[in-house]
Amino acid sequence: MTLNLGLEPREFRLLEGLRLNPRKSFTGKIRGERLTKRKGISIEFSDYRDYTDGDDLRHLDWNVLARLETPIMKTYRDEEDLAVHLVLDASPSMTFGEPTKLDAAAKIARALGYIALSAGDAVYPKMLGVRQPPMAALRSRSNYHRLTRWVEDRPTEEGEASGVGLASALRQFANSSARAGVVLLLSDGLDPEAANALRVLGGRGHEVCFLQILSDVELDPDLEGDLRLLDAEGGGKVEITANSFALKAYRENLERHNADIRDTVLRVGGRYALVSTKASLETILKDVLKREGWVV
Amino acid sequence: MSLQNGGALLWLLPLAGIIVLLYLLRMRRRDLRVPATFLWPERTEEIRANSLFQRLRFSWLLVLQLLALGLVVFALARPQTKQRGLTGEVTVFVVDASASMGATDVKPSRFDEAKKLVRDAVDSARAGDRVALIEAGPNPKVVFPLGNDASKQIRAMDAMERSDAEVDMGEALRLAAALVGSEASARIVLLSDGDFEPVKDFSHGKASLVYKNIGRNDYNLSVSALGVADTGKGRQVYCSVRNPSGKGLAGTLNLYADGRLIDSEKIQVASGKSWGKTVAAPTGANVFEAKLDAPEDYLQADNYAVALGMPGASLRVLLVGKGDFFLEKALALDPRVTLDRASEVPVEERGEGSGGTYDIVVFDGTEAVPVKARGVLAFGQAGSTSPVSVEGAARSPRFISAEPGKLMEGVDLNGIYIDGGQRVRPKAQGQVLANGSSGPLIVASKGDRRQVYVSFTPLQSDFPLNVSFPIFIANALDFLAGEVSASTVAVKAGQSFSVPSVGSATLKSPDGRTLNLSPVNGSVVVREARRVGRYTLTVDGKPKAVYASLRSDRESKIAPEVDVALGGGSVKAIESPMRFADFWRPLLALCLLVLVGEWWLFARKS
Repeated sequence: MTLNLGLEPREFRLLEGLRLNPRKSFTGKIRGERLTKRKGISIEFSDYRDYTDGDDLRHLDWNVLARLETPIMKTYRDEEDLAVHLVLDASPSMTFGEPTKLDAAAKIARALGYIALSAGDAVYPKMLGVRQPPMAALRSRSNYHRLTRWVEDRPTEEGEASGVGLASALRQFANSSARAGVVLLLSDGLDPEAANALRVLGGRGHEVCFLQILSDVELDPDLEGDLRLLDAEGGGKVEITANSFALKAYRENLERHNADIRDTVLRVGGRYALVSTKASLETILKDVLKREGWVV
Repeated sequence: MSLQNGGALLWLLPLAGIIVLLYLLRMRRRDLRVPATFLWPERTEEIRANSLFQRLRFSWLLVLQLLALGLVVFALARPQTKQRGLTGEVTVFVVDASASMGATDVKPSRFDEAKKLVRDAVDSARAGDRVALIEAGPNPKVVFPLGNDASKQIRAMDAMERSDAEVDMGEALRLAAALVGSEASARIVLLSDGDFEPVKDFSHGKASLVYKNIGRNDYNLSVSALGVADTGKGRQVYCSVRNPSGKGLAGTLNLYADGRLIDSEKIQVASGKSWGKTVAAPTGANVFEAKLDAPEDYLQADNYAVALGMPGASLRVLLVGKGDFFLEKALALDPRVTLDRASEVPVEERGEGSGGTYDIVVFDGTEAVPVKARGVLAFGQAGSTSPVSVEGAARSPRFISAEPGKLMEGVDLNGIYIDGGQRVRPKAQGQVLANGSSGPLIVASKGDRRQVYVSFTPLQSDFPLNVSFPIFIANALDFLAGEVSASTVAVKAGQSFSVPSVGSATLKSPDGRTLNLSPVNGSVVVREARRVGRYTLTVDGKPKAVYASLRSDRESKIAPEVDVALGGGSVKAIESPMRFADFWRPLLALCLLVLVGEWWLFARKS
């Protein structure tokens, strides 16, 4: 059996040495490689404090003691793991585009998962829009193949669709007992309630990093004639005459919707970027993730 | 506004219903799956339909199509509005070119005012309008036919001239009716002062008739009579001046004999009255002229008259019979002739003596009774004084031979068909000039009373259709008048007359213009003596003085007529003529604009 790693060797090389750069600090579950505000054991100096009985003499600052004859303890920042929720939208609307938005999102999910695993973060894969048993946290690069399998196990058709929209799925996730951490959300965001759901998610202490992935089907629709539009997620039917007026109104609505999502994400302290399915992983890394500080 | 075809409006509802019905048809749309529909606005444009049925929704396309339909139907109803103006779609102007139109109560003259009205009408005519102009002169003619070339029409109109003559208004109007009488949208516009004889036998057909009268005043003095007569006191010249206007007028009358002033008198003529005077004529004088000078006189043409004193210079001819067009025309061609018509000889003209009013009496198919005239021309019916005695009737006599003589000069009777006539035998004084198979055809006699007898009437033969006929009549008049060749003639202005001529002739008018005339069939026909005054006609190198005068009570009465009798009815003059102007063309243009807008909207929406 051949293992499909999902990324080209060249792309792996691009990902080497990168790590997620969250704006917030989160409480870790186990010791890890992420510095926290809490005092702990690491090589990262934090502060001085007076010596108390029982302190580990290894952290006594001998130089100060010799100079001032006062025992002063050096304290260090603690290092814990970071909870990275890798949330992949697998709703039917993600199956549009060439390549499909889901394929593009899956590739980015592999890349971000690899970065997180390489940095020792706890990666919690979560697929929206499908019925899938919860997965345990993945840690270390050795679990990358599990992450890859998770991505490959995504539904290709509506057969396994949960029938729950993006906003509802995000609300369910926000209301779950998931550890507060970075939520890497890969979705098209095509839900009229998406912005409200993101507001709820951000309110639960997560740092929402929303990478909105849209294809030409949404960005530059090439429609013509008199049509009855059927919503891929059962959102109803709309009759239109696809003329310049209708297309102009659509573009204005899409722009307003995306702006609403972006403002919401930024307001809850998260990050937002819009990418096309045609953008290469290298371009996304360079022009979005690195430039805007998602990864360092 | 009125509609010429109001029934077309009935099409509006059913056609509009069809259009609305098409909009009730529902669109069959193609299903298309999209990631999300909430971003798409519910925006449908019903620009085509292929399924049944739906609720009628507002659509600008529907509004524009209904508007275009409304415009088309309204245009088909041919709406028209009333506007001030002389012209319609098809207009024939008939301009009175008679002597009375020379009156200067309207400056510069009534005739010029009529031309100005035509010019304004031609200038203001719209692109599709057609205009024609007929000059109602002594011989009516079409100045320019129906058309819309304004510059050409105005040039032709400017060349039109008035005459100092009576006009044949009936003929001019009949000519106009022949041009446009069959067109319902046409109008005949008569520009005149209304001073012409009532017109009979005229119908304007489907065309409308508009009479615009021109003139404001009736002040006019006219020389109504001028003549020379031998009386007990010797040779006398009598002259009469008439004032037909509503105001007493003053003037100065000058009488000339052979160009020398023989009398001058200041006169005052009361309204509706005449003034007369008789003066002794100088011995040997032949041409007598009367010239009237009146400051308040608006018409100059009738202020001049001429009378000739020499015998044969003028001939008063009485035509007795049922009427013969050819004979009347042939007689009228002679400039000396003043023709009267009667069905029988007046009692005072009968008898054997002299002193009758007429110089010559022509019997056309009626028995030649004894008359006081100097000469008698009898056709078809000999009388007791005729140079022949009747022996019976002749059936289809054939011409055999003619005797040479002045009376038969230029007359060729060969081949003439004669249906019937009288079989006669010449009396002792009778000289046979033409013989036929049944006896003499033409017999003449000299003596106290000269006579010419023709054994058949003109209408019993095809003689009037032969070129010899007018020559024979002219020769007969010369013979009956005493074979006096007149070097001076007096004619009525505008009257056509002929003069025998071998070569070309020239006519010099009173204003100095010279005109060359070519002979036709041995004579020149002069039609150009349209203004009063002295003309010089040079024929075969011999000059002949031609005096043209008006002498028309009808033309001298220059009061503009409000009502004119035309074709048995009375037509009232209108101050501001109205015209019906169609405006279906702008409606169709607007409709086209709406359809362009509708197409543009359709293109944008689809």
